[in-house]
Amino acid sequence: MEESNGNVKAIEMRDAFGQTLVELGRQYPKMVMLDADLHTSSKATMFKKAYPDRFIQVGIAEQNLFGISAGLALSGFIPFPSTFAVFASRRALDQIAISICFPNLNVKIPGSYVGLPTSRAGASHNCIEDIAVMRALPNMRVADPADAADLRAIMHAAIEVDGPVYFRIARLTMPSIFEDDHKFEWGKGVLLREGHDVTLFGTGIMTTFCLHAADILAEEGISAEVVHLASIKPIDRELIVESVARTGCAVTAENATINGGFGSAVTEVLAEEYPVPAHRIGVRDRWVDSGGIKELFTHHGMQPEDIAAAAKQVILAKNKVRI
Amino acid sequence: MQLPPEKISELEEIAYQIRRLSVEMITYAKWGHVGGSFSMAELLSVLYFHLMIVHPNEPNWDRRDRLVLSKAHGSPGLYAVLALRGYYPIEKVYSYCELGGFEGHTDMLRTPGLETSGGPLGMGLSIAVGMAMGMRFKENPRGRVFCILGDGEVNEGNVWEAAMAASHYHLDNLIAILDYNKVMAKGFVWEEMNIEPIAEKWNAFGWDVIEVDGHDIQALAEAFHRARWIMPRGKPIVVIAHTVKGKGVEMAEFNYKWHTHAPSPETADAMLRELATRYGRPAQGYSKLGEPELKETFYGGE
Repeated sequence: MEESNGNVKAIEMRDAFGQTLVELGRQYPKMVMLDADLHTSSKATMFKKAYPDRFIQVGIAEQNLFGISAGLALSGFIPFPSTFAVFASRRALDQIAISICFPNLNVKIPGSYVGLPTSRAGASHNCIEDIAVMRALPNMRVADPADAADLRAIMHAAIEVDGPVYFRIARLTMPSIFEDDHKFEWGKGVLLREGHDVTLFGTGIMTTFCLHAADILAEEGISAEVVHLASIKPIDRELIVESVARTGCAVTAENATINGGFGSAVTEVLAEEYPVPAHRIGVRDRWVDSGGIKELFTHHGMQPEDIAAAAKQVILAKNKVRI
Repeated sequence: MQLPPEKISELEEIAYQIRRLSVEMITYAKWGHVGGSFSMAELLSVLYFHLMIVHPNEPNWDRRDRLVLSKAHGSPGLYAVLALRGYYPIEKVYSYCELGGFEGHTDMLRTPGLETSGGPLGMGLSIAVGMAMGMRFKENPRGRVFCILGDGEVNEGNVWEAAMAASHYHLDNLIAILDYNKVMAKGFVWEEMNIEPIAEKWNAFGWDVIEVDGHDIQALAEAFHRARWIMPRGKPIVVIAHTVKGKGVEMAEFNYKWHTHAPSPETADAMLRELATRYGRPAQGYSKLGEPELKETFYGGE
């Protein structure tokens, strides 16, 4: 297997996941990987090959996957129980909540196959509610990376912090936004592009869509600021407020449902600290049925064009408020 | 393996005190599970005062045995035995259900000696499997993980996921204990959801099975001794302890109405007097009888 050497640019997110697992496994002898019969899909298989003695197969039993992880964490190990995001956030929620988050155990949960890029598998597998569900759990940290380097940085930050972490992995190759040595900090966002008319807050793969939307808007003479918030919980309240104080309006974008998800997290901060017109881009209370990836993003109104259109709406609303 | 008479008396006294303290804390808190705390009084007594290797002064000692109370509503019984074993002063149990005190269901961050947090049924055996694997990783062949399950609890599918994994991984350092008191929250096991043939089910999942009278201290000591030292042969072991829900006080015995129910101070007083009589101890009632009631009640009963 190819050594990563920190070079994770422009590779598929799940390959970056597998490579980083191997990297962390080398650094942390207490790290153990658990899998529920999906390791070749999630690429946890790379860890299995490198450290077969620290890889535990539990079969198709997600409740048991997270329960065993709790027991291993209570024995001083650092478990990474790996399954698809839908099974973590739906099937095994009680185990994650009470066996892991309630006692604040040191378990790192990768949610694979998130959102629309899961595509053809259909509504049962296209995970949209995991952000909302996981961020509702006390003690849980939640992150959604924009590209491979971001994912790698998040995984390092996940193991460096004590306590439960949930992070998302889309089945997609994303263009690189960040350099290989990119660092991720809990509760810190990144200002990617300065602007003064509107702030586009992105998380996960939607940050790239926000950057494209900013290009579209620039052609029309609109200056959009782009803020990447990979750390959804804790969220960078300061940066959110600072940015909208400059721009006066906001659009959020997430590869998930807007109900209780990232858009909710950002607009909660706005409502409490700095109310401005805002619009949330994401899945709007519907199931994400089977379809092609691009087709699905269009169908659900989540393309860069949709973000740009939403930006113009909130700018209009802002100007109306001012009059 | 015969226990000396003094040891049996000691373990009986502990079981008596577990029942007494359970009634005390449930009555004081105005909430809790009498029946399920009573049915496992002898189990807890024999485990903590005879079988398990633990250091109450050093609760996190790495080579200790571990107990997972999967039926976490039995917390009063466990809080009582941990106090008696010296993990904290007895008085602490009266913080049961108080804000900042011991949780209604188990919270390991609040109570020294607790190995897990729980409440929702069906989850503890998976945690125990993880701990048993952890002991293997740490090359600790003498250590054991015990997991107390309720009988109705085995309705939960998660229990059988864990049972399957335990035998798949040959975890003979894992001993499950089924507190088979025949009574669930709202009725009898065979009426609510029949679990029989239960020994065959565990067998079919690859476990070695022992059945025992869960209130007979000598028989329990022998069963646990066998489970721990004699039987391990690459298979996990389940001790099916036949018990009586509410064992010790007539009105609570075999009665689902005492699954979740706090006695009034007067009822508690009568219960404790009955317990003392049964154990041939000097008459002793509820310690806080007649004291002004400090705690408000939002709803009566369950």
